[in-house]
Amino acid sequence: MIKIIDLSKKYGTKQVLVNINLIFEQGKTYGIIGENGAGKTTLFKCIAGIEKYTGTIESNFEILKNQLGFLQTEPYFFSKITGLEYIQLLCNARSVSFKTIEQKNVFELPLNQYAITYSTGMKKKLALTAILLQNNDLFILDEPFNGVDIQSNILITEIIHKLKELGKTIIISSHIFSTLNDTCDEIHMIKNGAFVQHVFKEDFGKLEQEMKDFTIGNKIESLDLR
Amino acid sequence: MKFYFTLQFKMLNRQLSDFGLLPIIGYLLSILVFTGLSYILFHATEFASYIYILIAIGLVSKLSETRRNDFLKSYFSKKRYLQLRLLENLIVGIPFILFLICRNQFLSAVTILVTSVLIAFIDINNKFSFTIPTPFFRYPFEFVVGFRNTFFIFIGIYFLTFMAITVGNFNLGFFSILAVFIICMTFYSNPEREYYVWIFSINPNMFLFRKVKTAIIFSTLLTFPILLSMSFFFPEKIWIMLIFQCIGYFYLSTIILAKYSDFPNKMNFTQVILFALGCVFPPFLLILIPMFYSQSVYSLNKILK
Repeated sequence: MIKIIDLSKKYGTKQVLVNINLIFEQGKTYGIIGENGAGKTTLFKCIAGIEKYTGTIESNFEILKNQLGFLQTEPYFFSKITGLEYIQLLCNARSVSFKTIEQKNVFELPLNQYAITYSTGMKKKLALTAILLQNNDLFILDEPFNGVDIQSNILITEIIHKLKELGKTIIISSHIFSTLNDTCDEIHMIKNGAFVQHVFKEDFGKLEQEMKDFTIGNKIESLDLR
Repeated sequence: MKFYFTLQFKMLNRQLSDFGLLPIIGYLLSILVFTGLSYILFHATEFASYIYILIAIGLVSKLSETRRNDFLKSYFSKKRYLQLRLLENLIVGIPFILFLICRNQFLSAVTILVTSVLIAFIDINNKFSFTIPTPFFRYPFEFVVGFRNTFFIFIGIYFLTFMAITVGNFNLGFFSILAVFIICMTFYSNPEREYYVWIFSINPNMFLFRKVKTAIIFSTLLTFPILLSMSFFFPEKIWIMLIFQCIGYFYLSTIILAKYSDFPNKMNFTQVILFALGCVFPPFLLILIPMFYSQSVYSLNKILK
């Protein structure tokens, strides 16, 4: 379990996160939604310990980050490192060894090619494969479905279901509501650095409708499309 | 195009300021260091011009990076793009050309000039985009990436060793060992993204130990062919080579510790000066290594805690 208590974050004078209080339970999948710049990625970085913050994050892990697989929105790759070497690097970092990769290369990536030559979706799939092989107990997936083809989206959804079945905790951010609908137990909505709504699975449909009504409003009419 | 170069100039000034130097001082220091190192090289070996050409071409070809050039191609017309590439390559090549002209080595100067011009018309990385095999794949990333970026220099270094043996010049072979260590040290010149430290589930002491251990093993792999062949042909000087091999390990360890001493920031001007002092006066390393070590542990603690 992870308990976030009164977490706040400032960049200079700009308040990015305001008194966040959240609990993530083991074996559950959580969705975090919010507009661009709402503070989702900053919150993830705070949980990972990459960003400094005020407040407390408690967990039943001795060192939370050592059990955490963090898929970043735009994973960075060195210019001349192959997909396989990237996986090796991330596994070495957690002292995890693997003998052969072929069976675990579920996204069928060209692992002997330089990762930098991969497409956006392939890069995301490589980064996801690497954190899956690390045997983490907690996963933060920052927009895992972005830029990924439909077939792989289906596979990622199934992977998330399996992780949940194995008792892992998964936190996902996505701008595609249907992907969260398929995977999450709860959705938290963040706005201007604070959580404004918390919805359980049975009310996801209602939340989606509310978001549509609020976001679209009469904007389409305003366009006066002809 | 004028705006592009003005922007590059501004970016360079900002980098120098971040480094802790006034840009004007940075430029003056660069000229002094470049001239000084060039003199040292040309006094150290009779094969300096070959090494010089290799370094110059290596630096010019760095400007052929595919993604950078794809970006330039998308913003400039074909004619402008070629003009820009030519100008950039010449800006990098000219200091080398001028120094060679001052030493009356016109043929070498022309070689750099012609190659710099030709490289502007070739997307080198496109042509060589195959995966260069390395023996370091089990422990990425510094040696994997560094070796692939500089493999052509290693070809040159091993050729120098061959020349050293052929002409019976021990100093040249000895220089090859030093060159391997200098190149290996460049693998650690820039800090990686924080994420690539964050992923490790070990404490800072263990992290640094692993980094140093990997560097020592892999640098030994790279110097081994030189040491072996030189030991066979110059058996009476094997001890000199082994002593300098050990000194090389010390320098390599120092640069690793210096790299993480202010992580995730780049090494600042003071750290570079201290490291340079350690290079000139090796006993200073005995103070420098523990100092950089404790600073690195402090910096890494914030990320690996």
